[in-house]
Amino acid sequence: MELGLDVQKTGSHAVVDVKGEIDVYTAPKLREKLIELVSEGSYDVVVNLEGVDFLDSTGLGVLVGALKRVKAHDGSLSLVCTQDKILKIFKITGLTKVFPIHETVDAATGA
Amino acid sequence: MQQRARSSVALVRLEIPPRSPYVGVVRLAISSLARSAGLDEEKVDDIKIAVSEACANAVLNNEEASTDAPVTISWEDSDGSVRIEVADRGATVDSSASADVDTQGFSTRAVMSFALLKSLVDDCEFQPRDGGGMTTRLLINR
Repeated sequence: MELGLDVQKTGSHAVVDVKGEIDVYTAPKLREKLIELVSEGSYDVVVNLEGVDFLDSTGLGVLVGALKRVKAHDGSLSLVCTQDKILKIFKITGLTKVFPIHETVDAATGA
Repeated sequence: MQQRARSSVALVRLEIPPRSPYVGVVRLAISSLARSAGLDEEKVDDIKIAVSEACANAVLNNEEASTDAPVTISWEDSDGSVRIEVADRGATVDSSASADVDTQGFSTRAVMSFALLKSLVDDCEFQPRDGGGMTTRLLINR
């Protein structure tokens, strides 16, 4: 089980396209990538979850951790997601109030 | 995998090493069992997430306790309901005592996991095991 992580810089935003399943096994890879982006000075991050088939609490924990890191630099972390089964996870855990969730990458980057 | 089928009860037991790469294997097996049992796709998805959460907690409890005892997952499909148990020999967790939020006011991973477990199945219990570890019991009504 592999997690695909593809980063593109769009204006002031770093967009991370995630593909595959984010769980207790793969979440550390996402955490490393997000820490790397922030340490390189990318403080406005968009995580595109459209290619994600599965997300659990460890994945949510990684996203919350990244949000704290970018906020420490007055940055932002927003998500792209239209899949009902993934949105449900954010709704149950109350995170729809914590993350801005957009339907497209353009909407998330304000392009 | 051991399988024993009677006229109205199907019991399946899985055992995995208490490490994260094996949680995906359990998801595949449980999804397949749930589909074979005739549950609809939404319920299959809910069970898949709930069992994965229980297994992730078991793996993390084992990491905390540095034990290598296997995690066992049992599936019992009887007439009206499916009962799933995930048992580990890791750290004992008092779910009622875990902090709801961290120092910055964000929900902790453990709290989000309990919220998912409680919300996705009809009933969910966490119990310490004799001899150490935890059992998570999930009930899904048909």
